Amino acid sequence: MRRVLAVIVLVLTAALTAACGGGAEPRELVISAIPDQDPQKLQRLYGALAERLTGTLGFPVRYVPLTDYAASVTAYRRGDLDMVFFGGLTGVQARQQVPGSVPLAQRDVDERFRSVFVATTASGIAPVADVAGLRSVGGRSLTFGSESSTSGRLMPQFFLDQAGVGPNAFRGPSGFSGSHDATIAVVTSGAYEVGALNSSVWDQRVAAGQVDTTKVREIFRTPTYHDYHWLARPDIDDELGAGATSRIRDALLGLRPSDPVDKNILDLFGAGSFIPTQPQNYDQVEQVGRSLGLVQ
Amino acid sequence: MTDTLESREASTLPPVELREAAGAVAGTGRRGARWWSGVGLVLLIASLGALAWTPGPLVRPEGFTLVTDFLGAATTPSTDGAFLAVVGSAAVTTVAYAVLGTVVSVVLGFVGGILSSEVWWLEGRHGAARRRATAGWIAVRGTLVLPRAIHEVIWGLVFLSVLGLTPLVAVLAIGIPFGAVTAKVFSELLDESPRRPYRAALAAGTPRAIALLHTLLPVAWSDLLSYGFYRFECAIRSAAILGLIGAGGLGFQLALSLQTLNYREVWTVLYALIVLSAATDVWSSAVRRRRASGARPGNPVIRGSLVAALVLGLFSLWWVQLDLSVLVAADTWRLAGQIVTDAWPPTLDVPVFELVVAALITVAMSVLAIVLAVAGGAVLAFPAASTGAPTIGRRVRVVATRAVLIVLRALPPPVWALLFLFVMAPGLLPGAMALGVYTLGILGRLMAESVENLERRPQQALQAAGASGAAVSVYAVVPAVAPRFVAFGLYRWEVTIRETVVVGVVGAGGLGLLLNDQLTSFDYAASLTTLAVVVVLTALVDATSAGVRRSVR
Repeated sequence: MRRVLAVIVLVLTAALTAACGGGAEPRELVISAIPDQDPQKLQRLYGALAERLTGTLGFPVRYVPLTDYAASVTAYRRGDLDMVFFGGLTGVQARQQVPGSVPLAQRDVDERFRSVFVATTASGIAPVADVAGLRSVGGRSLTFGSESSTSGRLMPQFFLDQAGVGPNAFRGPSGFSGSHDATIAVVTSGAYEVGALNSSVWDQRVAAGQVDTTKVREIFRTPTYHDYHWLARPDIDDELGAGATSRIRDALLGLRPSDPVDKNILDLFGAGSFIPTQPQNYDQVEQVGRSLGLVQ
Repeated sequence: MTDTLESREASTLPPVELREAAGAVAGTGRRGARWWSGVGLVLLIASLGALAWTPGPLVRPEGFTLVTDFLGAATTPSTDGAFLAVVGSAAVTTVAYAVLGTVVSVVLGFVGGILSSEVWWLEGRHGAARRRATAGWIAVRGTLVLPRAIHEVIWGLVFLSVLGLTPLVAVLAIGIPFGAVTAKVFSELLDESPRRPYRAALAAGTPRAIALLHTLLPVAWSDLLSYGFYRFECAIRSAAILGLIGAGGLGFQLALSLQTLNYREVWTVLYALIVLSAATDVWSSAVRRRRASGARPGNPVIRGSLVAALVLGLFSLWWVQLDLSVLVAADTWRLAGQIVTDAWPPTLDVPVFELVVAALITVAMSVLAIVLAVAGGAVLAFPAASTGAPTIGRRVRVVATRAVLIVLRALPPPVWALLFLFVMAPGLLPGAMALGVYTLGILGRLMAESVENLERRPQQALQAAGASGAAVSVYAVVPAVAPRFVAFGLYRWEVTIRETVVVGVVGAGGLGLLLNDQLTSFDYAASLTTLAVVVVLTALVDATSAGVRRSVR
């Protein structure tokens, strides 16, 4: 017995020491994304984008699959991720934690992003024409999606605020279903009377016949705002050579829907193409985040 | 000590994993029992009363179609080849995290257990030296409460911000809280070991460490290893939960599939979790049963398991490519300093009322969950216990009940929470139900084992005297198992307080939701305040449950 243990200890020590000896790491671009469209498809086929970018850029690009917003902001702040496809809010949070970060590109759909409010038919809440009409969801039970979601939480909460419906104006505390699809499900089940989510996810699910429209219907579509974007750390040029950041931007903007490989990548992101963006596009999101206490 | 004496001793002690629940405390008598039952009853009634806060009907049968959608997908899990490959490799990652996390926890538990044991600090010390040592002992024991009170997911986020995206995050997030629990159990093992040889060695002037290594350790060591096997099964479940925050493995795949409510994929992952849970359960109980029946380390099953554990450990190291150099990197210390300055000092101008309400909600949810778990566990423990003659009917019953228990604990609480939310009003109830059925799966197994380990003689005596089956249960079985069942419930209650952090989806509010919100806005100072409340709550629950356990003894 004692001998067995001695061997175990010895071998484990040896293995740990061996595992310690990491060499100099190759310079590479580490990227990640938490998109709104079919995340499981993208996260499992993530090789595609990394491969495509490696081909164009000439240095290795590695894609790290992540699902958690807080985890991706944390890893970005630490420098483990060089470039991330953040949501509007998480992008602002990340830019605040890593000052000087550059918004590189957004999808064509991101510059006119919308949220929808949906309600159970049983609640009797009628569709409303403008933001002020959202008053009618006061006193009802309501669920958002994920806590850090721009389209599933931040902007809906902002428009509710504008309509005079504060965070405590609902029946019971507002819920966080965790995702856009979960929001549809818990509203369909009747757990919550009202839900707020990403309009493009809603449109897709309705078009695919996955929504029981006898039980849940759209009551309001918000005005547009800017959402997802690629955010790059300011030290990319130091790490990968001068001009690397702009070459990455060009590579993203250069993805063509006419090319089958590019088309596949763009489809994974739910995009027609990537287009340029600038920091000011997220001023509104930042302001709203600040007023809701989500941006320090 | 001769072999026969040692093996007899081993067989009269309860199995090692049951010690978490059964701290060495003296009875306080009937008055204490009455007082504590009173406290318990008030807590339960208050928690039930809190349900009345939920507006509208608590249960909504019309949501049941969504549950049937989910359950229906169980018969058609996704069998897409590429997806199966992904799930297979994720399952290996989960096992690797669990193995390495368990190794860390056993090492930490070993060191921490010695350093927090009474024999290390107090034995053979007198007067002022003893008083000083008592202070040291209490300080170490107090420090060990901290890692236990903080959920693995929170540990995960802390390590992520310091160590970055490395598998080490998952390993440490499992190893550190588990290590603290193991330390507590191991210190009790050491304190309960026969002390005479140790005393003699100390009196002969042997240095403390050497005396302990040579006299107490050989007795307690194999119990520590056997406890490690038990923790391994818990570690599998933890590794799955950690995946939800992005540590990879099955939890990560589950989170992805849940995001779009792709139930067929969800079920594929759940089946993988169920198989892993069942396999580790069978393995670890085989080892522990051999230990409990006094088998020597030379026993083929135990020896084989140790070798298998070694191989698995090495394989896990290779699979996750653990890189420990990050621990000593200069960056790591700078970032650790940064997170401390971010979080310190904790926010003090918090709305106290809001915090108190959140804490009460958390307590109410945990009380309801634990009552449900103990009641359900007590019902299922008997059919799940393999006692009596092994007839075919009995074996089927045991396997079927155990399978139910495995499924209950293999589905992570967030999944349960979503399902209960489909049919219940958002609030305390779905959260309590989710944590309750999950904990029921864990407690039912422990309770079944304690039924199996029951002293048979009182029952046999009653049967021989011609007592009916009902009479035997009422007079011989229930009085024997009830205190243990209560003790298990109390032990898990502390854990349930922490677990409320992961069922934020139910919209019940509570400290979990508050903490999520603070972490979402990267407000570390406020998070620290909330965590402090969780720690205080855990300590209170710990004290309460120690009091109750003392009184039911």
